[in-house]
Amino acid sequence: MDIDSGRHPPKIKIVYCASCGYEPQTLELVSALMHAFRYDIASIEIIPWQDGAFDVAVDGELIHSMYRDGGFPAPETIIRAVRERLAR
Amino acid sequence: MTVTRERFEQGMTYDEYKAQMTRNRDRLEENERTVELSTDDIEFFASLPEPLNVLVITEDWCGDAIANVPILGRLAAESGKLNLRIFLRDQNPDLMDQHLNRGVYRSIPVFAFFDQQFRPIGRWIERPAVITEMQEKMLANLYATDPAFADVAPGTSIAVLPDAPRARLMQAFAAFRAETRLLADREVVRELRELIGQWLATRQEA
Repeated sequence: MDIDSGRHPPKIKIVYCASCGYEPQTLELVSALMHAFRYDIASIEIIPWQDGAFDVAVDGELIHSMYRDGGFPAPETIIRAVRERLAR
Repeated sequence: MTVTRERFEQGMTYDEYKAQMTRNRDRLEENERTVELSTDDIEFFASLPEPLNVLVITEDWCGDAIANVPILGRLAAESGKLNLRIFLRDQNPDLMDQHLNRGVYRSIPVFAFFDQQFRPIGRWIERPAVITEMQEKMLANLYATDPAFADVAPGTSIAVLPDAPRARLMQAFAAFRAETRLLADREVVRELRELIGQWLATRQEA
């Protein structure tokens, strides 16, 4: 919890298909989030999965799903979603 | 679904492919060693009226490819009638885009069969159909009967799944893979025989 503001820093989950070679996209997104937010996020959880998945959730809300939205998310899309959480 | 002889010959042989693998070679070779092929299966391929050219699209990180490419490798080695050329998916989009799964997905492995004149015979993609169907049924049953999924809608993303059902799902998939391995191997061979059998029947009619 952010002591100054009382806000709960967001928790981010990234699900990637481990049998599809999506490690580079996963690490690119993790790196972008780490550099954008430093201490302002509670955690980034990386979950290896299968069947072509690449999904990202912020505080339990699905921000991107490869099945639903297609393709990989631009890191900026996820960063924007996290910023919106922080602004609430 | 066409390829020229020149483009085909640019692919790697099976041994060249294995030599350049950066991961999972031990798993692939273990599967190659342990897959059970019947005498009837070997004779079917060995008695083909002409050697077939097989264009294989794969990657060494793909689980389905690590499971199924070595089955084709063994069939080729033991029958002497399958001329394999291996292409890496991500370096050969021109070939991959000709063989999209359901016209959309870049699923691998792809086994595309051609006759001696490079006329297409047929193609096989990813995994046996029955295994995909069984997996879907296993998931439906899990969602319907396991208390961990009581408040979870089928198809919920893993990213928003609570810890308990996520752990159950991972256990279920691991058990499914172990339980279906032998059936999956047999189905790969059966489906390949069926595909080539249709070509043989058409050839005899002509």
